[in-house]
Order: sequence, then structure tokens, then C-alpha cells
Amino acid sequence: MVTHESIVQAIALTLAHAIVLIALSPAIVGLIRKVKARLQCRQGAGIFQPYADLRKLFRKQPIVSTTTSWIFTATPYIVFASTMTAGLLVPVFASQMPLNFAGNIIAFVYLLALGTFFLILAGLDAGSSFGGMGSSRESIVASLTEPAMIMAIFAIALTAGSTNLSTIVHKTALLEGVVTDPSSHVMALAALFIVTLAETGRVPVDNPATHLELTMIHEAMVLEYSGRYLALLEWASGIKLLVFLTLIANVFVPWGIATSMAPAALSIGLAVYVIKVAGLAVLIGTIECMFAKLRLFRITDLLGVAFILALLALLFFYILRG
Amino acid sequence: MTGFNANIVVGFLLLAPLTAGWLSLLINGSRWLHVINLISIGTLIGAEGFIARAVFSQGSVTAFADIVYVDALSSVILFIIGTVGLACSLYMRSYMDEQVARGVIAPKRLSLFFFLFHMFLLAMVLATVANSLGVQWVAIEGTTLATTFLIAFWRRRESLEAGWKYLILCSVGISLALFGVVLMYYSSLRVLGDVSSALNITQLQQVASQLDPHILKLAFVFLFVGYGTKVGLVPMHSWLPDAYTEAPAPVAAMLAGVLETVAVYAILRCRGIADQALSSDFTGGLLALFGLISFALAAFFILLQHNYKRLFAYSSIEHMGLAMVGFGVGGPLGTFGGLFHLINHAFAKSLAFFAAGNIHRRFRTVEIDQVRGLIAVLPWSALALLISGLALTALPPFALFASEMQIITALSSSGLPGEWSEPVTRLPVVLLLFCSVVAFAGFLYRITGMVWGPAPNDVAHGERWSMGHIPIILLGAVLAGFCFALPASLRRLIEMASTLLLSR
Amino acid sequence: MPWLTPHIATQIVDFSSAMLLLTCFGIVAQRRLSACVDLFALQSLFLAMTAALVAFLTGTPHIYIAAALTVVVKVIVIPRVLKGVIERLNVTRELVMKINVPASLLICGALVMIAFFITQPIIPFGHLLTRDSLAIALAIVLIGFFTMISRQKAVTQLIAFLVMENGLFLGATAATYGMPLIVELGVFFDVLVAALIAGIYTNRLQDAFDSVDTSRLTKLKE
Repeated sequence: MVTHESIVQAIALTLAHAIVLIALSPAIVGLIRKVKARLQCRQGAGIFQPYADLRKLFRKQPIVSTTTSWIFTATPYIVFASTMTAGLLVPVFASQMPLNFAGNIIAFVYLLALGTFFLILAGLDAGSSFGGMGSSRESIVASLTEPAMIMAIFAIALTAGSTNLSTIVHKTALLEGVVTDPSSHVMALAALFIVTLAETGRVPVDNPATHLELTMIHEAMVLEYSGRYLALLEWASGIKLLVFLTLIANVFVPWGIATSMAPAALSIGLAVYVIKVAGLAVLIGTIECMFAKLRLFRITDLLGVAFILALLALLFFYILRG
Repeated sequence: MTGFNANIVVGFLLLAPLTAGWLSLLINGSRWLHVINLISIGTLIGAEGFIARAVFSQGSVTAFADIVYVDALSSVILFIIGTVGLACSLYMRSYMDEQVARGVIAPKRLSLFFFLFHMFLLAMVLATVANSLGVQWVAIEGTTLATTFLIAFWRRRESLEAGWKYLILCSVGISLALFGVVLMYYSSLRVLGDVSSALNITQLQQVASQLDPHILKLAFVFLFVGYGTKVGLVPMHSWLPDAYTEAPAPVAAMLAGVLETVAVYAILRCRGIADQALSSDFTGGLLALFGLISFALAAFFILLQHNYKRLFAYSSIEHMGLAMVGFGVGGPLGTFGGLFHLINHAFAKSLAFFAAGNIHRRFRTVEIDQVRGLIAVLPWSALALLISGLALTALPPFALFASEMQIITALSSSGLPGEWSEPVTRLPVVLLLFCSVVAFAGFLYRITGMVWGPAPNDVAHGERWSMGHIPIILLGAVLAGFCFALPASLRRLIEMASTLLLSR
Repeated sequence: MPWLTPHIATQIVDFSSAMLLLTCFGIVAQRRLSACVDLFALQSLFLAMTAALVAFLTGTPHIYIAAALTVVVKVIVIPRVLKGVIERLNVTRELVMKINVPASLLICGALVMIAFFITQPIIPFGHLLTRDSLAIALAIVLIGFFTMISRQKAVTQLIAFLVMENGLFLGATAATYGMPLIVELGVFFDVLVAALIAGIYTNRLQDAFDSVDTSRLTKLKE
């Protein structure tokens, strides 16, 4: 029954979901940077430094090249919006969210792909060679991660019997501590982890802290941006990172997530979520310190590994079933 | 033989090479090393004699609470180990001394050589008498480890290459055999349920008919491929020619005569167990098929050889293939022929390698074309070469003729086992005869070329009689004698063994 | 422990086996030799954990001994020996691979499928705790075999052999709760001696050939 209260509750929950994503993502980026700094025996900036960076950027005046088209100025908004929407499809602190019905895996993957697509175009739009280089590299990486990501998530979806993300999370969470297919899940987790590192531009695929243009992939595409546009793009990449971490955390280790709408369950869900995502962020920071960035043509090897692992995940599911 | 006596005798059997090996490490003088060697081989042969007598009266001997199990089949193999070991030890007396005198190896390395030799002997004896299939596996892998450095003993580039190939290929093959052992254990656990004795041959033989045929099929295939690598069956044979060429002659003789035989023994044991659950057609067919392929391929490669040690290596592959055909075809004639062939081949091959070793020492080359006029240069070795060459090509009056005839007769009367050949039962026999003619031609051409002809001038003539020639005379006589008359006890032993193989 | 039902126990052992397979893929995809050795040590650690888990779940104490031996021999001793060999020989990476990484990974995936297919008749019969682990064990053996064929450096071939032994140990532990103790001890002894021998061998190879690239071992032909 669609009552007045249920509509208000739905809107409130969705807003809460969005606010959590928006508010938490700069903190996660800051946490990763802090972990890296500490491992490199530096003090490093504080965890909340990205908030200050964003505030600074919003107050500055953007400078736009005269040779760009509407794509250049529209892309930050499109990327932010598509990443946010994709984020709303993944369960964060509750497994049954109001936007359930739209939470399909394919929608998720291709909303993110929409953002990537526009970013690639924007990199080309300014006409600089660095932007074009970044765009072509990003398209290589994106085209290789897409099959791995879809197959890995499908392996999970087959186990849960649905491609709806919140159904997957809800079913796994209710199974009281039994993962039904550990071999398949292990392979899918490994594949998704490599895809996360590739899609969010982390070492060993791309160094987010580099200032050498010839080694950039993601940074080269946003090289021409400034002011509020740059702020939106930075925030969007943070949200993308958070969304991927949420996907890994809630699909593979969903216990602790709120399976009902009780306020106690919701707060526990939120706390557990923050802990899980923070843990994953620390892991990513550690991995970034352990490995060096791969040369470009070795990235295809790494993504090939991810693809094979995802393929094996599917294979294990079918073989172990029958 | 009571249990206590069995323990003592088997204890001597195992301890002799063990203590001799460790003693060799500590001692430096070459004379003492040889004495220890001969004493340990003598003890080995004595223990084998006692065990064989017990096997005649009791049928089988177990010792050390079922860790050791010896029956007629094991006794035959032990006999081969003992006699070829003795022949090699006598041969080594002159061979190693000359190598040390020439400065090819340092005297200290001689101790290492004898240590490895004894560990090799110990591992082979253990593989033959072990009751548990797992311990048998450990022992066979142990032979690989012990012989790697023996093969690469000269430290030349080619030796190192041969040794590395041997180590890797044999270890890989034997690992596959381990998987077969695991599968065997898996199937037997489900029937027996006891953990520690489920791999014992004695236990497995009792419950073999209850084991699961699917698992046994898989297990046997893995075991066959794994141990077949050690035997040198095609296509797992690629380590064999290189290893035999590069190894010192006594080591090559032991490898060719004894080690391959022990590997065949391992296969036969597993086949005996598998046959009671599967039909013996499957296992027999596998053995016969691979044997036939090995025989054919080796015969053709013999035509191409220009290196006499490699020639003998391919001849080993050929004869092992033939023995496999004999065992695969089965029946009393085939099995007896196979066992007899193993014995004869061990003798003939060691004789061949002794001759090869002497030729190599004198001529300093392994090329056939450069060896000429052997009859004038090294008369005794020429005789050995001639006898072994004729024997290996299965000419009468040598024993290999008898065993080969037995196998071919068995093949032509029953054909290849059912599952593997459809109506053309004549084809394998024709193939076998054709390939043996091919091998005969190639062999004889090479050997006669080496023995007769003008001798090169830069080689010293004449051969001094030494202890190393005793085994040559003895082996030659035995090879000739076995064709006509087999000693009664040996014949009885082989017949008991073949009955064992057939009754399973 | 009441929550440790047989179902959950099977899942945990399956999970460990899957991690073993993952490290196997890591070794195939690696170019740096020291990383291969580290991955092998990690794989042996997972193997020891799996063995200890099976020992705990089935109450068979002699598997604890095998697990402890695995840790000592394969996690500590052999990687140290290999690292020493790598340092002394100054080889750090496979320069030329006969089959490139994505293709070899695809072949490894196919080998996993073959392994499952081969052990298909065995899996339904098993009433023991860990039936799928036998298939994974055979897969690891086949992958080790393939790595040995497709790599050229002698050290990598040795690591591939040790990976095969790991797969066999997993098969023995998971399918039959380990082999009789004598056999286990014998196998460990063999593996250790094989590793030491191969280590000495690579030194000799280096001295004789100035490299441990086994593609240079071509002097012996038909």
C-alpha cells in the first residue's frame, strides 16, 4: 500500500542514501591518502583534507577553453549525476531500498560506463594532446574491465538467482553466515577487486597522485578542468570509488546490513558499512604502497587475469552445481 | 622362515646398501671403497637367496609387521638387481680406477659416486620389497634423485643438460603417478576404512574386487603414465637417450638393466590390483598398445643413430616395449616371456654398456664412424659387443631369442586384448616382426662396422685382463646358456611369478 | 562447536582450496621470479591451513604433523633456498615467455575445466568432507605441469614442480584425509631433497652455461 508515510519514508531513505554517499566519499579518498602517507613514513594531510580541497575549488572561477563545445561544460554534471545514480542502485546501509526496482546490474554497469564515455569525450574536447592520450588509454582500460565486471557480478547473481543488486544482498545477508559457493565467490571477488583498481584509477593501473602527464590515465582527461567543474569531477571519482567499495563490501560480506527498516537496524547497518568501507580503503592504500604502477601494455595482462578469474567464477558455479 | 628370521634377513637386505653408502662417504681410499661395495652386494645377494628359498616354501614373505612384502615377482626383480649389481661392481673395479688414474675425476668424488650408487641400490631394493604403494612411490622418486647426479657425474655441459632433463621429466612423471596412488588410496579407504594399512599390497589384493572400477581405471592410467616415464615408454621417453649417453658406463648399465625393470615391476603390481576390479583387457590393452608403439618408434630411431651409446638407449626402449607387449597380451606364455625377457635384457644391456664403456675409454669418442677394428684393439670388448649386439637383436643362440619368440607367439595366438583392436589381429604381429627386422638390420650394420675393419692408428692396441672382464665373460656365458637351459630354481621362480600375475 | 556444521566446514575447506587455485594463477601470471617464490610460499601456507582445518574437523591427528611439516619445509626452508639461488644467479625475471600471459591464463582455465571433467565420476561418490577439493587438486597439478612446459628459466620449472607437489598434497589431504604417515614423511623428504638438488643443479648450470635459461639446453638432439 502506498501511503503518505511510506512515500515520506521512501524519500527520506533515498535522501539519506544519497547524503551518505556524497558525504562519505571525500573521507574515503582522504583515508587512502593518509594510509599511504603513513606507510611511506610521512605525516600526510588529514583525513578530511579533501573536503577543504572541494570547498576551495567550488569558490574558484572556472576557466574554459574557447575551443571546447558543450560537452566540456556538461560533462562534470553528467558524470556526477550518473555516478550518483549508479550509487543509489547499490545497497549501502539497508538491503531493501526504495529504488529497488531499478537496481539492475546491467543498469549499474552502464550508468558508470555513461560517465566514463562522457569523460573520454571531454578529454578529447579541449584539443590538447594529453587529453587525447588519456582518453585513448582510458578507453582501453574501460573496454577490458567491462566484460570482467559483468561476468564477475553475474557469477554472484547466478548464486542468488536474480540480477537485482538489492535482492542479491538481501538473500545473502539472510543466509545466516553460509556462503553457498565459496570457490565461485572467491574468484569473483578477486576479479572484482582488480576491476575496482582499474576503474577507479588506482595503482597498479594508474597513479592518482602523479604529476607526470605521460603516465596519467584518469588525470589526463581532467587536466583542462578548473573551479567547480574540477570539484564535481573529483567528487564524482570519489563517489565512484566509494560505490565500488560498497559493491564489494555489501555483495560479498553483507552481514551487518539492515534487513528491516527498524531504526536500530539502520544505525547498526550504517556503522557496519562505514567500518567495512574504511577497512577496504585501508587495504587499497596498502596495496598502492606495495606495488609499482604497471607499464601500459602490462595492464592488459592484469585485466586478462581479471577476466579469466571471472570466467572461472562462472565455471565453478556451473560445475559445482551439477 | 619364521617371522624373526625374516626380519633379520630383510634387515640385512636393506641395511647393506645403507651402511655401505654412508661408510663410502667417510672413506677415501679407492681400494676400500671397492671392497665395501663388493661386501654390500654380496650381502644383498645372500639375503636374496634366503628370501627366494623362503618364497619357494611359503609363497610370500612379510617382515617388520607388514612393511615389507616379498613374493615370487619381487624375488625375480631382486634377483635381477643382485646379479646386475654384482656385475657392475666388478666392472667398476677397473673402470673407476682408470678414470681416477686419468684424472677425469678427483679421488674425493669417488666417495660421492659410491655413496650415490648405494643410495640408488637402496632405493631400488626398497621399491621392490615395500608393501605400501606409497612407500614404493617414495622409493622410486628416490631413485630419480639418487641418479641425477650420477648421470651428470662428468660435469660436462651435455651431462648437465641430460641430468636436468632427467630430473625434471622423471619427477613430473612420477608426480602424476602419485596422483594415481592417491586415487588408489581413496578407493581402498572406502572399502577398508583403516587409515594406515589401506595402501598395503597385501590388503589391496584381498579387497581388490570390491574397489570402484571408475576410480581404479583413472588411478591405473595415472600410475601407468607416471611409472611409464621411468620405464621409457614412448611418448614419455625423451630423457632416456640423453641420460644413457652421458652417464658413466656402469651407471648406464644399472639404469638400463635394473631401474627400468623396477619401474615395470611397479606397473605390474598396480595392474595386478586393478585387474581384479576392471577387466584385464583394459589394462592389458594399454600396456600392449604403448609397448607396441615404443617398439616401433625405437626400431626406426635405431636406424638413424650414429652414437653407439644412444643406439643402446633406443634398444632399451625397444625391449621394454616388447616386454610390455608380452605382459599386455597376457596368458601363461606372454607373462612368462615378459618376465624372462626382463631378465635377459638386463644381462644383455649391461654387457652392451660394459663394452661401450671400454670402447669409450680407449677411443675417447662416442661416434660409431670413428670406432673401427675393435677386434684388434680391444679383443675382449669386441667379443662383449658382438655377443650383446647379437643378443639384443634377438638372434639365436642367445636367450633374448627365446623370450622374444615366446612373446610373439603369445601375440599371434591371442592378438591384442579385446577393447583395443578390432578384427585385424594379424597386424600387430606383422608390425612387430617388421620392426624387429628393421632394428636387427640397423644394429647389426653398426656393430659389425665397429668390430671389423681397419683399426685407426692413434689408438693403443691390446687389452689387459682385469677384474672388469670377469662380468663380461660370465654374462656372455649366461646369455648363451639361458637360451638352451634355465636353471631349475630360476625357472620355478619365474613360473611362480607369472602364475601370480595371471591369477589376479 | 555448534555452528560448525558439516555444511559450513565443507564451505571453509572449499574456500581454502579456491585460494590455493588463485595463488596458482598468480604464479602463472607473474614475471618476476621472487614474486613467484613468494606466491609459492603463500600457497603452501594456505595448504597448511587447509590441512590443519581438515585435521581439526575430522579429528585425525597425524594430519597436524603433515601441516606442520608443510609450514617448515615449504613455507620457510624451500623459499629461502630458492631466494638464495635467485640472488646468487642474479636472474630476476622471465624475459621471453613462449606463451604470453593472457593466453597461458586461458589455457589454465581450460585445464581447470579438464580437471573437473576428469574427476566428475569421483565427485558424486565421495561422502567425505571435501569432494570438490580433489578436482581443484588435479587442476593445480595440471597447471603446474603446464607451467613447467611453458617456462624456460630453470628456477621457474622447479617452482612449477613444487606447485605440482602442493596440488598432490591437497588431493591427498582433502580426498583421503592424508596418506599414511610414513608415506607423507617420505614425500616431504623427497620434495625437500629434490628442491636442494635442483638448487645445486642450477648453480652448475649457471657455471657451465652462464645462464639458467633452459632453452639454451639444445646440444642434445636426435
